[in-house]
Formats: sequence, structure tokens, C-alpha cells
Amino acid sequence: MGRRSWVGAGLGAALVGAVGVGLLVAPAGASAAPPLPPVSPEDLVSSVMTAQRGPFAGEVEVDNALGLPAVPGVPQLADGTSTVRVWSGGEDRGRVAIPSPDGERTLVSDGTTRWAYDSRDRTATRAPAGDHGGPPEGQQQDPTAAATQAIATLRQTSTVAVDGTAEVAGRAVYQLVLTPQPTERTLLREVRVAVDAETRQPLQLTVLAQGQGEPALRVGFSEITYGPQDPSLFTFTPPPGTTVRDAPARDGEQRPEGDRPRSTVGDGWDTVVIGQAPQPGDGRPRDGQDGQDQRPEGAPDLSALGQPVSGPWGSGRVITTAVATVIVTDDGRIAAGAVPQQVLTEALAR
Amino acid sequence: MTTVSASAPPASRASTRSVAPLGRLAAAEIRWVLRRPRTLVLLGLLALVPIALGVGIALTGGPGDGDGPGLVAAVAGNGLVLPIAALGLALSLLLPLTVATAAADALAGEAAHGTLRGLLLAPVGRVRLVVMKAAGVLTVAVLAVLVVAVVGVLTGLVVVGGPSGTMITLSGTTLGLGEALGRVALVAGWTIVQLLAIAAVALAVSAFTEHPLVVLAAVLGGLIVFGVLAAVPSLEWLQPLLLTSGWTAGADALRDPLPLDGLASSTGRALVYVVLGAAVTVWQMRRRDG
Repeated sequence: MGRRSWVGAGLGAALVGAVGVGLLVAPAGASAAPPLPPVSPEDLVSSVMTAQRGPFAGEVEVDNALGLPAVPGVPQLADGTSTVRVWSGGEDRGRVAIPSPDGERTLVSDGTTRWAYDSRDRTATRAPAGDHGGPPEGQQQDPTAAATQAIATLRQTSTVAVDGTAEVAGRAVYQLVLTPQPTERTLLREVRVAVDAETRQPLQLTVLAQGQGEPALRVGFSEITYGPQDPSLFTFTPPPGTTVRDAPARDGEQRPEGDRPRSTVGDGWDTVVIGQAPQPGDGRPRDGQDGQDQRPEGAPDLSALGQPVSGPWGSGRVITTAVATVIVTDDGRIAAGAVPQQVLTEALAR
Repeated sequence: MTTVSASAPPASRASTRSVAPLGRLAAAEIRWVLRRPRTLVLLGLLALVPIALGVGIALTGGPGDGDGPGLVAAVAGNGLVLPIAALGLALSLLLPLTVATAAADALAGEAAHGTLRGLLLAPVGRVRLVVMKAAGVLTVAVLAVLVVAVVGVLTGLVVVGGPSGTMITLSGTTLGLGEALGRVALVAGWTIVQLLAIAAVALAVSAFTEHPLVVLAAVLGGLIVFGVLAAVPSLEWLQPLLLTSGWTAGADALRDPLPLDGLASSTGRALVYVVLGAAVTVWQMRRRDG
């Protein structure tokens, strides 16, 4: 055994390590844009609206850099990457698994009943499937006309284009890109939707903010398989030892929404929504913080977020994220929009 | 005279026995390892992990709603989760300690006693020596995991009990006994591979030193350092390199349908550690002379 062979063995080991680590670390490959026949934005949107939604299974990756304050109980909202597993059986049947390191939240819809199961406290919440919003209004209209109309409305404030092709979750996709007109005062730079070229199913949504190279939000499939799914995925039987609850009626949640005076200032990308801040004792669950809203100190908790600001419109606190700004004024108004702070203060001063 | 007659064809015997069969070497090493009191004591202590966990949960009804360490909370009234939770708990420190002890004794311990010199001088190739020593460590790793898994299944079924021999997954589905045992076996196999990664690194350290304590300190210190590195947000890019960052995948076995991504990638990562550790061990043992 000469020294040479030891060196060789060492180099071999280093090579194995480098290759192995490289295989593990390497991202799933940025591949070349697949060649696809050109398509106009109108055709693309109308084909998305008419497409048959077949059954599929996949993994959705949420890559979040919105800079939201951490909300307990909803780890998916905090900055970072999380993965959600999704199965769809078509006909309003589906299953979503939101894993956490030591538990899982499972949502199952069998077409008539929606179940939400939380493994941490072993509770299953049941709700009838019907009252979760009506069917999309676009379905009643002629999809082509609806798509043309939608794009015409968008074109008043944005540039709509099909920006080439790409590959998402191993599928060839068209990239539909919405860019705000230069006159729009918004924090957003671009919104991209990747649409599967074959099935015309949207596969990925990317939101890019001004002055940021990395997307502020990217939600999309990292893996998708079309095809029939095991029907047992879309049924749910509460396991023994589970607390089964019926979800509270939804109209209780919606009524305060309607009562509250709400106005919008501006249109397009720099729309500002002005509303009333939820008052303590509203009984409306906020931000998943159970019990927070029962306390009279609920309001100070909300105002503890953000930075204090003041101006001719009054004073309050501003919460800034990568894609949106919210001002909560001391007199209980809320102004929010995908706009810089100045646009909000102008809207409040109006 | 009898010796002469017994060894009638000395030349042929010398040629056939010039290389001792590897199986016999490994068997001798395994017998030697399993006769060590510290190995037996460690295995016995590992058997206490699922028992303590199961008895504690059966007596107290498990941690309160949602505030326990996740998987342990899932054990209450769901006995077949116990082996998986116990393996997860033991994998964080106790199982690595067990294999590190075996690996420390295998080379550094022999060197400390001065017996490694005899092995190095014996007509056994250095690679065969490493394979024989690795067989001993492998046996300890497999036995340790099996002890926790088997005692966990028994304790889970007898002490904690469950809904008629079934397992409730984190996804809220119910698995039959056969599939539940399959899931336990999957986690046990996965844990063995993770332990082999630690054992390979521990053997490599063991090949460089003659102080067994150095091996223990290196392995346990390394695990703690990995835990610290994984907790630093700005070092997130390091995560795919850290062995410990894949260890949350053990809980994936309790999801339904079973996601294999995490288990597969952490197994791949562990195999890289195994190859690197084994290569360094062989390389160092070929040049070691005392």
C-alpha cells in the first residue's frame, strides 16, 4: 500500500461525498423552456375557465417571503417554505393534508360534508359542503366572453401577456403575466400564473414585489399526477377517541362583515380598502388566536403590531409587509392595500 | 505424534486456512461485543424507554390537549404509535450514545487496552478487520432498535391499549394491525440506517484515536452542534447537509397516505455519511500501526 493509493482512496471518498451531497442538495432542475404553440392571453384565460377539472394528486409548495407577523397556529403564513399535500377526486371531493413536524391538519370533502381534523387535539369539525360560497359566477356566463371581459378590465390598469413557457412540477406551462401600468402606485411588480399547457389547470402563482429579486410569494405544485384517485381518500370517519364538533353557522361570521361600513379608494392595483377595525367583544375569531378576542384587551394586542405613524388624517400604527401595507388608526379605522404607505395616508385623509 | 498424524497434510491445510472466513471473524466479534456488560446494560436501559413512556401515558392519560411534545400526545389511547414515538425520542440521544459506545470500544477501546496492536499484526487484512469491527457495531445498532421497537409494540398493546389493535394515523384514518406493524417496521428500518450513519462516523473517529471517550464526545458533541446549526435561521442552506435535519421524517410514517419523500431523502443523506465514514475508517486503518 503506497501513499499514492491512500490519497486515491481519500479522493474517492471525497468524490462520493460531494456527489451524494450534490444529488441531495440540487434543486429539481431548472430546465429549458419547452416549445409550445403560441397562445393569446384571451384564449389562455378562456381555456382555463372551460377546462374540465379531472382528479389529481400533488404536493403544493408555499414559498413565503411576505414578511407577515407570525400568527400562532398557522405556520404556513410565516416566512419560509412549507408543503401541503393535495388530492382531488373531482366533483367537489378533495383532501388536503397540512403537515407539521409532529402533527397534521387534514381537510376532507366528500361532496356533501366537509371535515377538518386536527391530530394535535384530536378534534374533527364537520360542516355541510353546500354553504361554502356558491358556484363561481363565471360558470353561468359564456366563458370566452367572460374571459375577454375580464382581460379587458385588467388591461385598463395592467399589461397582460403570455410570457413564454416554463416547466412547473414536470409539466410544460404557459406563463401568464400581469404587470401593473407604470401609473399604478403599487408595491407589486408582477403577478405570474403558470398554466398547464395540456390540462389548462393553473399550477403556480408567483407574486413579485417592487425592489425584490426573489418572489414575495410563490404557491404552486412541486409535484402533480393527473388520474383517478383512490375513492377512500375522500371519505372521513372520525377515529375512535375523537371529539366531533359541528362548525358554527357561517352566517354569524359574515354578518359583521356586511354591517361594517367599508369603502374603497382608487381602482386597479392601487385600490385602498378602508374599513372598521374589529372591536373587542365582536365575537369574531381573529388570526386564529383563540381566546384573544374574548378578552377586553383584544384591541391593544392588534395595535401592538407595527410602527406608530401620524399625519393630518390622525394617528395609528402601520404594518408593512413585502406586498401590502395596513394602517390601523387610533379611532378604529383600517386602511389596507398593495400600496406604499403614502397612498394609504392619502386615502385616509380624503 | 498425535499432532503430526492429525495434521497429516500440512501444506494443503496451510493453503486453505491462510485466510480466516469473514463470517467466523464477524461471529467472534459479535459474541465478544454481546458479552460486554455495558452493551447489555445499554440495551436493557433502552427497553425501559418505551415502558416508561407507555406506563406514564397510561397513568396520566397523556399530555393535555395540544401542549405535549407532539408524537407523545398521539400515543394516548393509540398504543401502536408508542414504538414510533419511543424510537423518535431515543434517536435524539440514547440510540446514538449506544452505537457510539460500541464504535468507541471497537477500535479506540482496543487501542487503549493495547490489544489493537495484536489485531493489526494478525494475519487478517485491514479491510477485513474493519468489516469485522463494523459487524459488531451494526449488531448493536440493529439490536438496540429492535429492543425499542418490540418492547414498544408490546407495551403499546398491553399497557396503553388502543382501539382494538389498530393505529390512528395523524391524518385521522385507522390502520389495521398488519399495516400498523408494517409502519413500525418501516420506522425501525429507517432508524437503523440513520444509526449506521452515526456508527460509520463514530468508527472513523475511533480509527484516529486511542481514547474511547474522544469518540463519545465527538459523536454527542457533533449531534448537539448539528442541532444548534439547524436552529440558526441564517444557516438554512446548511440544512440538507445535516444528518439530524431529516429526523423529523420518522413522524411521516404516521401519515396516511404514506409520504415517502422525507424518509427517502433522509435515508440517502444517511447513506452518504455511511460511505464517507466507512471510507475514512478503511483509509485510516490501512495506515494505522498501533
